[in-house]
Amino acid sequence: MSSFPLQHPAQAIGLDPRTISRAKLGDIDAFTAIVEAYHGRCVRFARAMLRNPDDAEDMVQETFVRLYRALPRYEERQRFEAWLFQILGNCCRTANTAFQRQASRTTRDDAAIERVPSLDDPAGQFDQEWSEAVRRALAEVPEYNREIFLLHYIEGFSYEEVERMTGVKQSALKMRVKRASDQLRTRLSEERS
Amino acid sequence: MTDAERDPVLRRALDELRKLPPADVAAMRRVVAAAAAARVTPFDSEPGVLSPRRGRSIRLWMAVGIAAASAFVGFTLRGAWTSSSPATQTAAGPAVVDSARSLFKPVVATEPEGAAIPHQFVFTSSRAHKVSVVGDFNRWSPDSTPMVRSSDGELWSVTIPIVPGRHVYAFMIDDSLFTLDPTAPKARDPDLGTDGSIVIVGRP
Repeated sequence: MSSFPLQHPAQAIGLDPRTISRAKLGDIDAFTAIVEAYHGRCVRFARAMLRNPDDAEDMVQETFVRLYRALPRYEERQRFEAWLFQILGNCCRTANTAFQRQASRTTRDDAAIERVPSLDDPAGQFDQEWSEAVRRALAEVPEYNREIFLLHYIEGFSYEEVERMTGVKQSALKMRVKRASDQLRTRLSEERS
Repeated sequence: MTDAERDPVLRRALDELRKLPPADVAAMRRVVAAAAAARVTPFDSEPGVLSPRRGRSIRLWMAVGIAAASAFVGFTLRGAWTSSSPATQTAAGPAVVDSARSLFKPVVATEPEGAAIPHQFVFTSSRAHKVSVVGDFNRWSPDSTPMVRSSDGELWSVTIPIVPGRHVYAFMIDDSLFTLDPTAPKARDPDLGTDGSIVIVGRP
């Protein structure tokens, strides 16, 4: 398995370093540019990470609020988006823990969990079913493997960067990604058969 | 191509997971607004301003003292005002007994009691280009009360009439940064939903 991040057009965000510097000084326009550049990716990551994907928007907002407050302490030697996803990962893990505690106290709303958005376009029904299958399969991957898998394969961070972000050694990271990949592949193959 | 991408099932799954959600402009606006409101101490590195840790601890103790003082002020003022109005007297009595919190409500500018008293706000910043005072006395409008820069470029000040009582306020820097007064105690403001600085105008 490659140790290099996958290049993806959606990841090609050209954020001027001066924008981050201006945001550090409190420039709200610069911060707005940062939000515009990363909001979609953050929502995508949060939806894949959270036990309750409906909380993704709130969690992304919480992440950006924390980021903005912490910006004066940001050091440029750290890659900005690695820092952002580190904060987002922390927020998601905290939210999952809280959600788990709450779920253990309350009856699960299976109807809500199974609820899927309806499609007006019947041609998109097949894509929708596949999308749901992928998300169900991903949700079954343990959180500690899923986060690394997402950071590496979906958000395009190298193992070296993920090691810096999480403190987990690269050999262990690669093992986690492999386990997540294997689990995803097996589950989806079962779905198809 | 990686092992994962060589596998057709996994490759398709990755393609699915890489799809970005549609851009949600309204959500982004909410994020920016929430962040702007939350970042209340952006000028931490400004010379002469307390560091966050020091500032917080000092302000906390000051807030406790001022809160106690404001309770006394509120009690006294309310007692004075209600002495001429039986209707408000009956309303004020249980409020004081039931909850001290009612004494901490900001005094709104529409209250008829007490003539407005000139009060000067001062803010120190050599980097800001524009500073204004926002508070419950001007409906938190950044355009209502612009401050004037001193000739040395360090101090910003403005004097405005405010009705006596406890008020919550902050400074708006360059129309974008909501900043507390580092010299004043702070408290959560019910109007804005975030921390604000406190000023007690007038004396009982």
